[in-house]
Amino acid sequence: MSDYLKTHWRQAICVLLGAIFVYAGSAKIENPQAMADSIAAFGIIPIVLINPVALGLPAFEIASGVLLIIGWRRRIAALAILLAVVAYTIAIGSALARGITVDCGCFGFGPPTRARMWIDFGRDVVILGAAAFSYCSLVRKTAVSTQPRN
Amino acid sequence: MEIAVQEPAEGSRPLPSATRGIVRTLVRDLGAVAVIFAISMLANAVLNRLSARPLALIYQSPEQRLSAELSRLVDTPPIYPSEVPTIELAEFRKQVDNASALILDARSASFYEQGHVPGAVNLARDDFAHDYQSLKDRLDASRDKPVVVYCTGGSCRDSRLVAAALISLGFSDVKVFVGGWDEWTQAALPIQGQKK
Repeated sequence: MSDYLKTHWRQAICVLLGAIFVYAGSAKIENPQAMADSIAAFGIIPIVLINPVALGLPAFEIASGVLLIIGWRRRIAALAILLAVVAYTIAIGSALARGITVDCGCFGFGPPTRARMWIDFGRDVVILGAAAFSYCSLVRKTAVSTQPRN
Repeated sequence: MEIAVQEPAEGSRPLPSATRGIVRTLVRDLGAVAVIFAISMLANAVLNRLSARPLALIYQSPEQRLSAELSRLVDTPPIYPSEVPTIELAEFRKQVDNASALILDARSASFYEQGHVPGAVNLARDDFAHDYQSLKDRLDASRDKPVVVYCTGGSCRDSRLVAAALISLGFSDVKVFVGGWDEWTQAALPIQGQKK
């Protein structure tokens, strides 16, 4: 793939990822209690961290999404989203493996079902791929642009 | 402005300094991500403090929150029954059709407004004390009559929690329809309100 195409693909993916995360964060930010219940249902983080994470995650998603869209500190925003999606994928994957049915609260809140969890897991894997591509591509771009000329 | 630099020739060994540079970039980026998270958390914590129902610093389970809600209604701590009687769809439907029981929807108000079992009233687990006081006259009239509570169904615990709270408040005939809203709608039975 030519550099021109790669750059445009990367920008398109970054803007799309940013929009997804701004939407996801906005859907949750008004209901921190439901977010905390969703996090608690996974049973993977200590109780003392549940509410701070429930308060931080939606705003973090919105902030990272906005940075990805506007292109300022885009590499850092791509890593932020990559880390968030890695955590979500592990959380849903582990819940599926443990046989527990939980609402991931990814794009708002609703009744949890196993079918919905598999859909959430599949969607997270796709987003994970896109976020990994974006971050790796941005790191490579930085490495190339800062390499000394011979 | 981007400075274009040629890629290393194919097959050449990667420079250790390049790897070190990538690691340094990753570490710097991780630090920046931690800063973004901290700022996001603090900003939302401030907004949370200003909200009508701020989130507590330490997480409380739905059971703990319901107990706190109940303590606003009664002086002594309520005693929860270990088991709440349950009913199946056929019996629940008969009670709805005959209006022979008070039907309570334990889901949050937003779900209730989207659609509920005909005749059901909303006694949400997450707003128990407020809803209970709003419905006090109607509930007091049903203290010795059949009461059936439902929530979403499946792994939903809200109906059991609300039923247990009602029993602890002196209601004598409280049952849970375990299939809940999911089973009711899957059976294509009539609904009230706007189902999305």
